[in-house]
Amino acid sequence: MSIVNMLRNKPLLMIIGVCALWANASAAGTPVIEIRIKDHLFFPETVQIPVNTKVKLMVINEDATPEEFESYELNREKVIPGNHKAVIFVGPLPPGEYPFFGEFYPKTAQGKVVVKP
Amino acid sequence: MLLNSVVLILQEILEAALLVSVLMAFTRVINLRVYWLAGGIGLGCIGSLILSLNMVTISEWFDYVGQEVVNASLQFAITLVLALLTLLYSLKTPATLKWLPFCMTLAVACSLTREGSEIFIYIEGVLSQPPHIRPTLTGSGIGAGIGISVGVLLYYGLLGLPQHWIIYSCLLLLAIIAGNMSAQAAVLLIQADWLSSSIVLWNSSNWLPENSIPGHLLYALIGYEATPSLLQGLAYGAGILSVLMAWSLGRICNKATP
Repeated sequence: MSIVNMLRNKPLLMIIGVCALWANASAAGTPVIEIRIKDHLFFPETVQIPVNTKVKLMVINEDATPEEFESYELNREKVIPGNHKAVIFVGPLPPGEYPFFGEFYPKTAQGKVVVKP
Repeated sequence: MLLNSVVLILQEILEAALLVSVLMAFTRVINLRVYWLAGGIGLGCIGSLILSLNMVTISEWFDYVGQEVVNASLQFAITLVLALLTLLYSLKTPATLKWLPFCMTLAVACSLTREGSEIFIYIEGVLSQPPHIRPTLTGSGIGAGIGISVGVLLYYGLLGLPQHWIIYSCLLLLAIIAGNMSAQAAVLLIQADWLSSSIVLWNSSNWLPENSIPGHLLYALIGYEATPSLLQGLAYGAGILSVLMAWSLGRICNKATP
């Protein structure tokens, strides 16, 4: 069965495919910033991002335990399994400081996104 | 670890507990049996186990935003099921009323799947660190206890209202929950970059921070956010409207067929 036929028979699959393609296309050219989690700490703790620009945070969890990246100021929440990575899009943001933390280990896992004009 | 796990589990449990309470009060007032709850909890536990055990794979879907897509789908599903439930109820025919328990089972199962999977992932992570096990499990128990208690309070609070107000209050709360779910789904799709980010509607973080007890409670109950975006607000409105329109549609159809 050709791909076209397959898609014709599966409208839902087609919609998902189109969404994924569109999402990929819109993500192209987005700056990527890496944050690592090690021993329940964020490295770096302070992440600078350009003003009014959407960025892709690549959060790499080097601990064996899962962590949840959370920020009230950024309205973001995402579980990152142990020894795995996750992508979180943030922005475009006005200048300011946006704290984030690891919800599973909030005593140590603290950081902030800083947007400077 | 103890206090942290109380807060974390409480947050996860509250949302599901509130949905269950409203649906339970709704069940009581329309004289249905509550067997559906066992199905909802059972399916929710199975769903959350499957989701948490496969979180690594799911997280990698769609270029590492699979988690957002799956969670947003579950939340949109809750909104749709609550609108369908309202429509079936307001049509008031035996053929439609018999589907109500099915809708309630589905809504609770979706809610528990999402919330429960995060709890399983958290607890599973802690189990690999023996010194943390006891305080975490104690804290989780306390958090779950508080969350369920709030649900029970809401349930009896609703049933304590005058008879004709109970059903309207339940429907209003279901509309708010539907709005909350669809707004949360929109936030997740923005986080995944499937929806584009939009302007912030207001900033109330100075006088009612999200990271406060009233903030957490309002988040669970009405989806309070200190800095909601326009798209989130629109999704919230659409969720509420879907339930209210389903209610009106059912009433209109009901009047048209004597």
